[in-house]
Amino acid sequence: MDKNLIEIQKVLGASHILISFSGRFSQGIIQELGEAIKEHMKNEDKPKSKIFNVFSIFIEQAQNINNYFASKKNDSINEAITDSAIVCIGKSKGDYFIWSGNLVENSDVPPLSDQLNLIRGLDKEELKKLYKEQMKKDIQPGQNGAGMGLIDIARKSSVPIEYSFEERDKSFSFYELKAIV
Amino acid sequence: METLYIEATKATPEVNFNPDTRTLSIKGQSYPENAFKYFEPLIKWLDEFVRQVKDGEKTQLELSLPYINTSSSKCIMMILEKSEEAVEKGKNIVVNWFYDEENESELECAMEFKEFADLEFNIIPNRQI
Repeated sequence: MDKNLIEIQKVLGASHILISFSGRFSQGIIQELGEAIKEHMKNEDKPKSKIFNVFSIFIEQAQNINNYFASKKNDSINEAITDSAIVCIGKSKGDYFIWSGNLVENSDVPPLSDQLNLIRGLDKEELKKLYKEQMKKDIQPGQNGAGMGLIDIARKSSVPIEYSFEERDKSFSFYELKAIV
Repeated sequence: METLYIEATKATPEVNFNPDTRTLSIKGQSYPENAFKYFEPLIKWLDEFVRQVKDGEKTQLELSLPYINTSSSKCIMMILEKSEEAVEKGKNIVVNWFYDEENESELECAMEFKEFADLEFNIIPNRQI
């Protein structure tokens, strides 16, 4: 049994992962993980703006996942996807990465993929313009998020965001998003 | 009109909207699960306050937000837009935005809000309490 855990630890280490959480998120868990990464970076004497960016991206990624699940609240598929979330924060060659994944419905892949593709292709000025547009848009009734999370993540990343979709079966795909600061 | 006071939690700021001193303060980080729900009473209070406050009487909107998520940012923008509308109708509202001098990202955030909002907007380093 112990051998299995050490194998997992090796994989985490080889992947440069500092903090990871897999399973059903709650706001409380998001807060605790967020505070934990802030604390960790403070102890490493990282500049405040870098801590701020890593924390921000982590919160937006985790809340995006939570909002997605909340939007499926009344669907029978909700149970099948809410346990699928994973989020990792790690450090590789001095850069921090925030890497998350969750199942999404196959029908949600094309619009999400289009949006990610658009955001990935924009420079910082264009991202700012898009951010401002979203900021000034009226909120729709029942809206959970502001529709600005991905734009914000891209703005705070030091290199373009990376993402992928892997089809698992006829209903779901696994969506991954990685941002580097 | 009564003071609106909400204690801070880990993910929500302290709110102190005082109609007598006309100081409306929001202080602390903000990333609740549902920002729109959290900010709704603040926006309702502000609507009522703007109706009651006399033209020209100076109101200070004091913001000290070390971290806000995107949906909270959107709510703060709504508060700024409501203040803008009130100013157009003759009210006197000034924004004082406090930030941590050691955190350039916080300053960038403040400058961006200043750019997005058409209001008298002061950016002030390290809040002195």
